[in-house]
Amino acid sequence: MADTLSADVIVVGAGLVAALTARKLALAGKSVVMLEAGPMIERDQIVQNFRRSAWKGDDDKPYPNSKFAPFPDYTPEDNGYLEQLGPYPYPAMYLRVVGGTTWHWAAQAWRLVPNAFRLKSAYDVGRDWPISYEDLEPFYHEAEVLWGVSGPDEMAQYSPRSKPFPMPPVAQSFLSQTVVNRLKPQFEVLTNTTGRNSQPYDGRPQCCGNNNCMPICPIDAQYTGGSAVVQAQAAGVKVIPQAVVYKLDHDAQGKITAVHYYDWNKQSHKAVAETYVLGANALEIPKILFMSASDKFPNGLANNYDQVGRNLMDHPSSKCTFLADEPIWAGRGPQSPISIQQMRDGDFRKDHSAFRLDFSNGSQVTAVTEQGIKQGLTGDALDRFIRERAARQMSMKNVLEQLPDPDNRVMLSKTKKDALGLPTPAIAYSINDYVERGMDATHEVYQQIVELMGATEVRYSPKGKYSNNQHICGTLAMGDDEKTSVTDSTGRAHAHENLYMVSTGVMPTVATANSTLTASALGLRTAAAILGQV
Amino acid sequence: MKRTFALVTALILGNATLAAAQDGDLVSQGKYLATAGDCAACHTADGGKPFAGGKAIATPIGNIVASNITPSKQDGIGSWTEQDFARALRRGVRKDGANLYPAMPYTSYAKLTDEDVRALYIYFMKGVKPVDRASKKTELPFPFSVRASMMGWNLLFLDHKTFTPDPSKSAEWNRGAYLAGALAHCSTCHTPRNALMAEKSGELMAGASLGTWYAPNITSDKDHGIGTWSQAEIGSYLSTGRNGAGSQAGGPMLEAIDKSLSKLKPADIKALAVYVKSLPAKAGTAAPGQTGAAALLHDDIALNNGTASAGETLYDSSCATCHGANGQGGHGLPALLRNAAVRRPTADNVSMTILTGLHPTDGQVMPPFAGRLNDAQVATLTNFVFKQFGDAGVQTTAARVTQLRNGGAPSPLLAIAQYGVIAAGVVILLVILALLAWGISRRRRTA
Repeated sequence: MADTLSADVIVVGAGLVAALTARKLALAGKSVVMLEAGPMIERDQIVQNFRRSAWKGDDDKPYPNSKFAPFPDYTPEDNGYLEQLGPYPYPAMYLRVVGGTTWHWAAQAWRLVPNAFRLKSAYDVGRDWPISYEDLEPFYHEAEVLWGVSGPDEMAQYSPRSKPFPMPPVAQSFLSQTVVNRLKPQFEVLTNTTGRNSQPYDGRPQCCGNNNCMPICPIDAQYTGGSAVVQAQAAGVKVIPQAVVYKLDHDAQGKITAVHYYDWNKQSHKAVAETYVLGANALEIPKILFMSASDKFPNGLANNYDQVGRNLMDHPSSKCTFLADEPIWAGRGPQSPISIQQMRDGDFRKDHSAFRLDFSNGSQVTAVTEQGIKQGLTGDALDRFIRERAARQMSMKNVLEQLPDPDNRVMLSKTKKDALGLPTPAIAYSINDYVERGMDATHEVYQQIVELMGATEVRYSPKGKYSNNQHICGTLAMGDDEKTSVTDSTGRAHAHENLYMVSTGVMPTVATANSTLTASALGLRTAAAILGQV
Repeated sequence: MKRTFALVTALILGNATLAAAQDGDLVSQGKYLATAGDCAACHTADGGKPFAGGKAIATPIGNIVASNITPSKQDGIGSWTEQDFARALRRGVRKDGANLYPAMPYTSYAKLTDEDVRALYIYFMKGVKPVDRASKKTELPFPFSVRASMMGWNLLFLDHKTFTPDPSKSAEWNRGAYLAGALAHCSTCHTPRNALMAEKSGELMAGASLGTWYAPNITSDKDHGIGTWSQAEIGSYLSTGRNGAGSQAGGPMLEAIDKSLSKLKPADIKALAVYVKSLPAKAGTAAPGQTGAAALLHDDIALNNGTASAGETLYDSSCATCHGANGQGGHGLPALLRNAAVRRPTADNVSMTILTGLHPTDGQVMPPFAGRLNDAQVATLTNFVFKQFGDAGVQTTAARVTQLRNGGAPSPLLAIAQYGVIAAGVVILLVILALLAWGISRRRRTA
């Protein structure tokens, strides 16, 4: 043991949600230290890495992947960090760097719809949350102000608001305008509510449409975990990068007494605090809890009823790509700008997944070029093909709600270890009929849209094939009953009075919205609870 | 028509109403003039109440704090008569007789017509809300702390003449000359100053440094000024900050456009453009005139294998996404290749833009890099941009960027003035001694 660090609060992980929680505690006068396994990174370095990358389609590629804080990497092939136990693969993507995975994202900032919190009561499927939409509403707004969320007023019909969005929606690109008009009045296509500036906000410029949200917004117009860490540091939070937490100590009552972490020279350090907050990724927090197993807690911490790591969810999604009957010029403006909300709630949830339908505005040039080359085109013929297709090709995808299933889970790998000798995550996962039926319902909608867009050359993802959306939920589910949940309604571990968790993992259902805004609101509520305000 | 109406109204309702109606017109006229004169640029602090003062204006000899010019009787100019107001505006003398510093452009406002001074006075008395809060006092180092020292400066440099139209020029030109000279005070920044900080009359609008930003040559010189701009381009620039041909406003000019020029009537913008277009060509401080490389820059191989220069590497990571790998711009974002900003006699504006970014009220913001790049990196990037896209002969140094970051180089004027006072003191002492000696000898003789 080289030294012992002490603070009022130790936060493990320095992603967006952890940073906002840490910030709030620091502003209330607490001394707060954030321990982050990964390195400190700078935007310009990541932009440079991206510009030089041979794998521009892989959003993880520009980010430094260290053997001391490894994360999944699938290009050119799977680095095997996540062990897949099947039957269905769960190829999660996440970053272990200061600021976390939201360095590369679309900054989508939908709130859940109120019924998402009471799925069991309303539709007799899934489970209810221990809190309601109304409980979370003020914290949603608090998060939106910190992020700088822009959005259209119409969104309030799905998720009611006590206060307006901090900013008006981002201007619609040509693609957005065209799709909105072509699908009227059958579908209400709305500009997304996002952590993306439509006007200068908090010292960051407005979006200028570089269409580079993933893997990195080059101008900081998009809110990221990097922005959150800057806000946290301004509030006095101390960030220690390259600090890989591997174990928590506890006393006879189960109260947490210390965290242990390795620096990148494999030296072990200890940090002590009054309160401990686990704010890492929803696959990495269970790992720390499992690794902290002791005589008193042989299954790991917070795991007296074998709930840690279970109920793993994401939004399975399938894609539909087509050529519109007119040029729609994908590739200017945000990559994911508009969506349909109308299927996010309804009685049908008794039978099949609710879903949101998202339209992509990502540049099609790379995809189209690959198609052309595959067809054997060269020279002028290839040029013409690219011009014609890149202007007319676009895609849409659904974001399907998956129900919590205890058999979908993350565990410690029994076979794989990283360079520090720490086991890597192992995942058992499947997708059930509820989702498959949601996919069938989506197909009907896809076909209506295809018709309205006058689309040709329509291509669908193969039946039964889904992509991950990196909305990792459920592994630390909150609930009132300790036998079926890991954390209580404030994010505190049932079994440890001074241990809190702020992460998408505490969400007991995945609902139909990208998870970070809800996790941010929950984190801010957890901070309020630590401060005795909830 | 308006006058007839006023007259009829006056006949019916009496003189008090006539006065009120006239005042109403004068308030709106005065408001427009105050916008054209950009009074708010200095007298309204960022986020502060209109015209309540408090904004510190950095000058080479220290900060000058703009005063409260709301009609507050206690802290503003509420107790001033129109004569007091006119004297401050055109002569640089406060109601209490103290001199103003020429950061207040009274040498320009001296050209204002009596009618316009009256309109401004009525506006400030009746159209501006009084704010009872004193602004901070200006505290300059000695000898500038002695406001009376400005009396001598005024004797030398203040022209008392109001604007006299030039009968040989069109009405439009005369309107433009009046707006530019008496209100918009273009020459305050664009005309170089002498050692005593007075505008050099022979180099009208030939370009000058403000300490940090450089106000470029806007004479009709085709190489060093804006002689190649059409009148429409000048007008577009004045009202939007962009001329559509590779020039866009930054720094204080952008502020002047946002707060003042963009709000002027189209006819006044046209008049200004006519006048500016006619400014006699002056070479000013000429740029070296070397042509930039402007070759295809983007070299993935060099960037990938690490042989690219430090400047190219910085450009690639911080600039290329918006301004293009080859500086070509696009999608409404400005090209750097052959941009006006990279054809200046000094690199300061490019360094300042990198440090502070650009923040138009209405338009795309460029983020600041002061927090991300150190002085050496800003200098390297500035030099790369000039070398690649503009006048390759213009370069800067890390030391200069340090000065820019800190608000500019300290002025030699302070040292000159302080030595000057000592020198003057010695002369006065010698004169007194001489007089004494003369008096003594005279007394002796008469005795």
